[in-house]
Amino acid sequence: MIGTAGNGEAIIRLENIVKHFGGATALSGASLTVVRGSIHGLVGQNGAGKSTLIKLIAGLHRPDEGRLEIDGRSYDRLTPHLAEELGIHFIHQDRLLVPTFTVGEALFLGRELRFPGTPFLDRGAMRRKSAEVLERYFGLALPHSALIADLSAAEKQIVQITRALIANPKVLVFDEPTAALVRREADLLFQLIRRLSSEGVTILYISHYLGEIADLCDTVTVLRNGRDVATLPVAKTSAAEIGALMVNRDIGELYPKPAVTPGEVLLEVDNLALADRFDAVSFSLRKGEVLGFTGLVGSGAKEVVRTLFGLDRPTGGTVSVKGETVFCADPAAATDRHLALVPEDRRRDGVALDLSVTENTTLASLDRFSHGLIDRGAGRRQTGDLVRRLQIKTDSVDALVKPLSGGNQQTVAIAKRLSRQSAIYLLDEPTTGVDIAAKVEIYRLIGELAERGAVVLVLSSDIEELLGVTDRVLVFFRGRVTRQFISSETSPDEVLADVTGAYETLRHAG
Amino acid sequence: MSRAPMRRFAMLVDTPYIPASALEVEAQKAFEPPGAGPTFGRRFATLALRGGALAVFLGVLIVFSVTAPFFLTVGNIGNVLGQSAIAGVLAIGLTIVIIAGGSNVVTGGIDLSLAANMGLSAAVYATLAQAGHGDGVAIAGALGTGLAIGAVNAAAVTLAGIVPLLATLAVMNVVAGLELVLTQNTVVPASGAFLSTLSAGGPFGIPVLAYLLLGFTLAVAAIVQYTPLGLRLYAVGAFPDAARAAGLPVKTFVAGSFLASGLCGGLAGILSVSYLSGSTTGAGDMLLPVVVTALLGTVFSRRLVPTITGTLLSVLFVGFLINGFQLLNISSTLVSGVQGLLILLVVSATTVLGRKENV
Repeated sequence: MIGTAGNGEAIIRLENIVKHFGGATALSGASLTVVRGSIHGLVGQNGAGKSTLIKLIAGLHRPDEGRLEIDGRSYDRLTPHLAEELGIHFIHQDRLLVPTFTVGEALFLGRELRFPGTPFLDRGAMRRKSAEVLERYFGLALPHSALIADLSAAEKQIVQITRALIANPKVLVFDEPTAALVRREADLLFQLIRRLSSEGVTILYISHYLGEIADLCDTVTVLRNGRDVATLPVAKTSAAEIGALMVNRDIGELYPKPAVTPGEVLLEVDNLALADRFDAVSFSLRKGEVLGFTGLVGSGAKEVVRTLFGLDRPTGGTVSVKGETVFCADPAAATDRHLALVPEDRRRDGVALDLSVTENTTLASLDRFSHGLIDRGAGRRQTGDLVRRLQIKTDSVDALVKPLSGGNQQTVAIAKRLSRQSAIYLLDEPTTGVDIAAKVEIYRLIGELAERGAVVLVLSSDIEELLGVTDRVLVFFRGRVTRQFISSETSPDEVLADVTGAYETLRHAG
Repeated sequence: MSRAPMRRFAMLVDTPYIPASALEVEAQKAFEPPGAGPTFGRRFATLALRGGALAVFLGVLIVFSVTAPFFLTVGNIGNVLGQSAIAGVLAIGLTIVIIAGGSNVVTGGIDLSLAANMGLSAAVYATLAQAGHGDGVAIAGALGTGLAIGAVNAAAVTLAGIVPLLATLAVMNVVAGLELVLTQNTVVPASGAFLSTLSAGGPFGIPVLAYLLLGFTLAVAAIVQYTPLGLRLYAVGAFPDAARAAGLPVKTFVAGSFLASGLCGGLAGILSVSYLSGSTTGAGDMLLPVVVTALLGTVFSRRLVPTITGTLLSVLFVGFLINGFQLLNISSTLVSGVQGLLILLVVSATTVLGRKENV
């Protein structure tokens, strides 16, 4: 079984890799074959096992089971040093550069240049050589004395790529390289990758962005739940098909918005104002309606949500719930009025890492689960239900939140608010940082809340998503509602034009 | 029928990635948090701290040279250097540990056992010399003692995974106890040709110890600041993940730094036997000045990192401060107060700056 498979010769071959971390299984029989000279894409949701697989190749983890084969030779495990010796280099997602180093020092760390015949560093040579390499590959000139800490995210990324390039790699592994780059820089990176590929370097490219995979790669491997579910030639597939494989779901089910007939008016906001923030904001929401808010930072959209929840005190206007004028002076009062806010910064405010999933989800609604003492059984049952519905990947409802992936932690934070069963939900950027499957579950949940007669207000800067899940969208610009759209009758481009104020600018200019 | 959802799906997956139009670029920019970047502020603060430290150093020199007539004589400067040799060697050892362990005050590199190490090494030297062994045996005994203590620290930190602050605190107590057992809490006098050479005066009326300090600093500075080994040491301390990604054995470097600092403790022990003509009790009192010196050293570097030359400057600063106080007949109790204050100032300043950097 040594020898080659398919048309090309395999430079990396992983077979049936299994890897556990404590009780959690990160990889359960994943295989990957990368053909020499190809640009191979690797995709999967958060928690699908991409990073673990990459770290195995980098020698940072040791496989529990399975075979590792590089260039036709078998290895029990790799070490970072061995991987480098074999010509495999990594562009990590985190920029692993020492902040107090100069660009030259960071580029040459581990293979420093010396004055010939002495043990001493030749910093001048490292500086010259790094300037030359950066100029040649990226047309980038950085000041001589610049420290890594002074560079922008994109510049750091470029330095890290250059680090790999000066080692004359055989295989380059890119782990989400465009996350910090703007379009121009990303285009430059793609050009560079193609150039390297044409020079014979094998590329393994990991990304969330299927568009990139479709543009760049020859072959793509899809990981799901710790296994490879498919390896396809990119020419014979589509971004949508790859996406469907990642989530194991029909494409049409992405925005599972049920048709709900609106009931009586539940929330009415009239001429609400907050000095210097927003003015004359009016809208009303019927039971079962989902309303979207969008706008730039400082447009007032976020501030309206904060004010509704009692975090800011309005300077004018009224808020009525069920026809009764209310005054929410603080979040506690808002909670009494059946308002619930899921804040954007969930990772910081949202979960207690050292508590279990159950403890986290029931924390905000303990009174529902306690009669003097906490009824842990009831809490567990409800949490089990939420874990299933939101597809939170955890061994049990009693497992700690800490080892869960970032996306799953955020989903737990949302579950915590949902467990309170309020009537009016304010969701602030509910899907930032969660993966596709969790997004879909959050969308489904929004629909379910509406179906049960709640009112949901979603604040999001992802207009596509907003139009998918809401009935109406209010666009905020400079503290005012400048336009209202019916979600099913508009397009993202149209909404975006108003978000950026293009319409306002035109009117003023004309 | 499935056409529209497909397009939506593609958008859903791709939206955060790359905007499709110039308009979207603008929109995306607007969603990014504002802020001109902390770089300028950080640079300015670094400059102010560094300039401030140098200004205070010069100010102290000027005030003392005006008020104390002997302060700026070659004899006195040599004297200060000679008196600072022991603390200087210890501070350089500590600096190596801080470089390799990172300068986080709680979780970073620190070796609290250094002063006790010096005490025990000195006691071993004096005891061996008193028992009639030659200089060579005594020297080997002292350096071996220091190295062994360094090895225990290294094992506790890299094998057992204990935070250096706690590991070396425990080792400090064990070592201080051993010294008591060995000396029965008495002074062990020692003398010999080697010791008198060390404690004698050298060229230009400057003590041999002063030349030793300068030579030692130069040698260690050359290794730490001008060789690949030193650069890697910095990488290991400043960002272990980056060092690991560059294929460096992080734990080996950390262990090596404790061995080096242990060796410095042994060397300082020999110097102290020559300076005091024997081993004396109370080595632990050296701890505070040594920690001050090593921490203060960071403000003398451009990048606000610990350096060997910065530590030498700060050794001189602390040395001149103590010397000036003595010349002016100011109580020595004030000195340790000033030292404690310096720790607070330097640590809070570098911590605040470090925090800014990480934003």
